[in-house]
Amino acid sequence: MKYSPIISLSWKNIWRNKTRSLVVIVAVILGTGAGVFMSAFMYGMSMQMVSNELENFTSHIQIHSKDYKDEVLPANFISNTDSLIQELSKLPFVKSVTARSVITGLASTSSSSYGVSIRGIDIETEREVTELSNFIKEGEFLENQRSNSIVIGEKLAQRLSLEIRSKVVLNFQDVENNLSAAAFRVSGIYKSSNSRYDESNVFIKKEQLNTLINADGISHEIAILVDDFKMADIYRDSLKLEAGLIAESWGDISPSLRYTDSMVGTMLYIVMVIILIALTFGIINTMLMAVLERQQELGMLMAVGVNKSKTFSMILIETFMLAIVGAPIGIFVAWLGILGMRETGINVSAWADGFEAYGIGTIIYPELQPEYYLNVGILIFITTLIAALYPSYKALKLNPVEAIRKI
Amino acid sequence: MSVINVQDITKVYNKDKVPVYALNGINLEINLGEFTAIVGPSGSGKTTLLNIIGGLDAPSSGKVFIENTDMFALKERKLIDFRLHHIGFVFQAYNLIPVLTALENVSFILQMQGLPTSECKERGLTLLHEVGLDDKVHKRPSELSGGQQQRVAVARALASKPNFVLADEPTANLDSKSASDLLDLMYELNQKEEITFIFSTHDQRVVERAKRVVTLVDGLVDSDVFK
Repeated sequence: MKYSPIISLSWKNIWRNKTRSLVVIVAVILGTGAGVFMSAFMYGMSMQMVSNELENFTSHIQIHSKDYKDEVLPANFISNTDSLIQELSKLPFVKSVTARSVITGLASTSSSSYGVSIRGIDIETEREVTELSNFIKEGEFLENQRSNSIVIGEKLAQRLSLEIRSKVVLNFQDVENNLSAAAFRVSGIYKSSNSRYDESNVFIKKEQLNTLINADGISHEIAILVDDFKMADIYRDSLKLEAGLIAESWGDISPSLRYTDSMVGTMLYIVMVIILIALTFGIINTMLMAVLERQQELGMLMAVGVNKSKTFSMILIETFMLAIVGAPIGIFVAWLGILGMRETGINVSAWADGFEAYGIGTIIYPELQPEYYLNVGILIFITTLIAALYPSYKALKLNPVEAIRKI
Repeated sequence: MSVINVQDITKVYNKDKVPVYALNGINLEINLGEFTAIVGPSGSGKTTLLNIIGGLDAPSSGKVFIENTDMFALKERKLIDFRLHHIGFVFQAYNLIPVLTALENVSFILQMQGLPTSECKERGLTLLHEVGLDDKVHKRPSELSGGQQQRVAVARALASKPNFVLADEPTANLDSKSASDLLDLMYELNQKEEITFIFSTHDQRVVERAKRVVTLVDGLVDSDVFK
């Protein structure tokens, strides 16, 4: 094969200046390694944010009365909750389902008050849909028999200066729009990964809330977990609901979450491309130096009959060799790092406040989808090709007569 | 038998929009087995003529036939391929590839022609033996003296069994002993194997050994002496 001596010569050429080539190779290793690992960190963080939001708060599909979507009033409830839950539970893709009564109100103490969402829950089924019961930091999660128990978030407890067994009064409207109030004792304080949520959501027993708003057996929200959250839109469309009810997927409920989920992949590639562009300039610089200091030799090769395609190929192959030596090592090192930290995670508790505001925990578990590695490989191939073009073009533009005489 | 036939060659450079005639109508015929030196003062057009005969530079007008092939009628790709198969080059600065050994430098040209590796190696060894470098085949250029490097360059020039060898100031960078040895070698190859050598040179020792001396002055053949 006529190209095999060119390939052999290219390999020898990249080791002509070992230090220079090693600097480029190390830069490629660090660039690709850091890029891939950073992408895994970002992907893990985003997936954690989406997953936290869905499994702790939003769930995958929610059903409401259409009127409730228009105006959050106690009167806009779902009346036939039990039969609807029974039907939903029979669907093959439904993992778990729970019904909630949800109204807005004001939580008050002797010193302060704050607007909250009062969520009446069924403790048993709620446990199957959300992780809320695992977030209890102090006290218990409504397990006691007392009807006036309330669970509040840590942030709200701080805002209203509440402790376990402290008294708090909830003011709200009932289904007939009459103002009503009830006193509760704090039985538990929770702390989720979303401090905003903790500040504005309180939990009481569903039967208790229904009694207070004079509407036994109703609910305002049915939350469903399905087998694959990515399929939520398809499952939503397959639900056959009676008139007056509306089903929404998590993407409908939280468009920003859907945006995050769809954008994260693109963002990872943007980050990688930026890193690769920086590397490209390093490679161009090195190869340009290699071409310019070898003008005499390249001139000789052209003079004795090495054609343009072989000269072009030689520079192209040298550039690829620099990248091909470094990139797989970088990707492998990043993969090892991801593998090592996939279980233990990366502790970011130093920035806990900032992360929690976005619903992200203090331990980030880096992860990447397998196809990302392949796509990074393709990106490296493309950027290396681009990096090789200019030095190769410079080599082709040499005039052998002049190049031979260059010192 | 004519190997090279140069017909009314001119070469004009436009320097600051002023035409400068490097060659001004050269006619020259070189036959098989000649040992020809092209001499002349600096700027007389020696190197330009050699570059045109070697197909490295195109003439402004005129034709160059290499064994009946009108060299500049060939398309660029064909011309490069023609050089690979038909012309040997020896340069003043040797121009060996520093990362290749002497043997690899010689056999590289043959590999470019697509010959099998074993054949390339065999011919490379034969040529290095002919130039007296049997014990240096695996040495890189940096491990060889100037004279030895130029011998490798001669072996490389002969690798493709060319119609002729063009040598541009081949002794200019060598000491007297090395220059003399190199001339002996090329003369011997010329005598024994009837290889045609054309030199562009200032070196009186080359002129003395040449069988034909073509003198250029101002881009014209001033004298053409057969010894």
